[in-house]
Amino acid sequence: MIRTFVERFLLVAFAAFLVSVPWVVPVIANKFWVSVIAEILIWSIFAASVNLLFGYVGLLSFGQALFFGFGMYGVGIGIDQLHLSFWSAFAFGVSAAMAMALITGIFAVRLTWHYFAIITIVFSLIFYFLAVRLKPLTGGDDGINFSLPPVFSFGATRYSLTDQTFQYFFILAIFAICFYLMYLVTRSPLGRAFLAIRENDLRASLIGLNVYVLRLIAFVMAGFLAGVSGALFAFFGRYASATYMFYHVSGDGVVWAIVGGAGTLFGPVVGTTLFIFIRELVSTHWEHHSLIVGVMAILVVMLAPKGLVGLWREGLSRIGEQKTSSELNAKARLRSQP
Amino acid sequence: MLSLKGVNVHIGKLHILQGVNLDVKEGESAALLGRNGVGKTTTLRAIMGLVAKSAGAIEFNGTDLATCQPHEIPRKGIGYVPQGRGIFPGLTVLENLCIGVTGKPDAQLEEYVFTCFPRLKERLKQQGSTLSGGEQQMLAIARCLMMRPKLIILDEPTEGIMPRLVSQIRREIHRINQTGISILLVEQNLETALKLCPRIFLMEKGTIVYSGAAQELKTQPEIVHRYLGLSM
Repeated sequence: MIRTFVERFLLVAFAAFLVSVPWVVPVIANKFWVSVIAEILIWSIFAASVNLLFGYVGLLSFGQALFFGFGMYGVGIGIDQLHLSFWSAFAFGVSAAMAMALITGIFAVRLTWHYFAIITIVFSLIFYFLAVRLKPLTGGDDGINFSLPPVFSFGATRYSLTDQTFQYFFILAIFAICFYLMYLVTRSPLGRAFLAIRENDLRASLIGLNVYVLRLIAFVMAGFLAGVSGALFAFFGRYASATYMFYHVSGDGVVWAIVGGAGTLFGPVVGTTLFIFIRELVSTHWEHHSLIVGVMAILVVMLAPKGLVGLWREGLSRIGEQKTSSELNAKARLRSQP
Repeated sequence: MLSLKGVNVHIGKLHILQGVNLDVKEGESAALLGRNGVGKTTTLRAIMGLVAKSAGAIEFNGTDLATCQPHEIPRKGIGYVPQGRGIFPGLTVLENLCIGVTGKPDAQLEEYVFTCFPRLKERLKQQGSTLSGGEQQMLAIARCLMMRPKLIILDEPTEGIMPRLVSQIRREIHRINQTGISILLVEQNLETALKLCPRIFLMEKGTIVYSGAAQELKTQPEIVHRYLGLSM
């Protein structure tokens, strides 16, 4: 009861804050932080893709950067070389990421545990090196720089992501759509089937669930989320680079999702926010800020295996239990009074 | 309905099932008895496609189960309640019940399940892990019922459950059988098997050594002693 109330209040407060960012943040800090928050929203979608696989299906993927890269390159190549419009390039990037997830998933989801983790790293590395070598197409290490086409144009009026406020709200809208889709999936029969597979895949097959197909569906859905985040990041930075296909990017997503709370809807947002803030605040003073990330990840995994959101929920449940037991004690005292 | 003819199973170099012949007719309740390690659970795992048979045939309503993937077998109408319950402890009671159901849940069937196991209705939002052993067993049987099975296979459903709940589980298994659902019960508890099942199969060293009516077995205590080590 207390948990539901507090969480709903926080959700509304968080939504109100996100909507007010372009006006409030420049007043209390500066415009730079609006960009940082937009970046957090993009990377939160990426961490959500890791969370969908690890937190809901039990598959630890270190290859999500591959689909992030495909989303990014889809947009970059689409605009720079195929001269596609904004929406066509967006659709091209996301479709490329999903197609890649389907192809690699056909082989990867036959495996579980460390075998699955290893095969996802291998796929990620193969395509990273291919992207570096195929310089005419991908720009190699230099990547592809491109100019942004307008998102909408009505006659002479053009809405483009070059406008920082419009860009922020565009990213926020996509973030909201992605998390709403995640919410719907996790509460649907499909989401319950994912959880059953995470708990025990053998038992799941004994009640008629096709574990392979369901894992593949989850893998492609995670590819969709990673592709959307990659495409958004390409629009955000106006470039696409093979660097973002390297597996350390996948590792970041894993850390953000686990520290925030795998298996919870907003865990990845919490983890991503925490670590990107640490990076932005500490990296200007100390180049070894990754050490803080590492120490925090170890502490959270050891002391709060359900992540920060899990720790928070446990705390609220305890408060609820204490309140219930103190109410019961009070009632018992009243009853025992003459 | 279910027939096993000369089923052999090898696990590594071990020859676990050595020509098992067994059949369960429509609406019938049969028990498979035997000591620990004689191959009872392996027989069930072979039926459910979890271990590959090396020879023989397993058919259910004319379908060769060897051609089916494990997830297809429950859809053919075989419900399986494995040893140790086999619920999903992290899911709620309601989620456990609905997990195998495709399409819209049948309200009438849900009502029937809750009539059989009213305790579950009181605990719908509770996590599976917070239920007692007996309640978990009820949940596992109820989950099977939600999939409208024609045959339910139960692997030692009363093992490690407090006596008060054992009698309730026995009663409900009997009631389920009365609705026309066939039962194949694997038990070490002779009393439960004899009470619930008119037909008994005794297993020893991977093969069926006795098959006959429960009433008949009651008159042959030497067989019970030889194969189960029990005196009647």
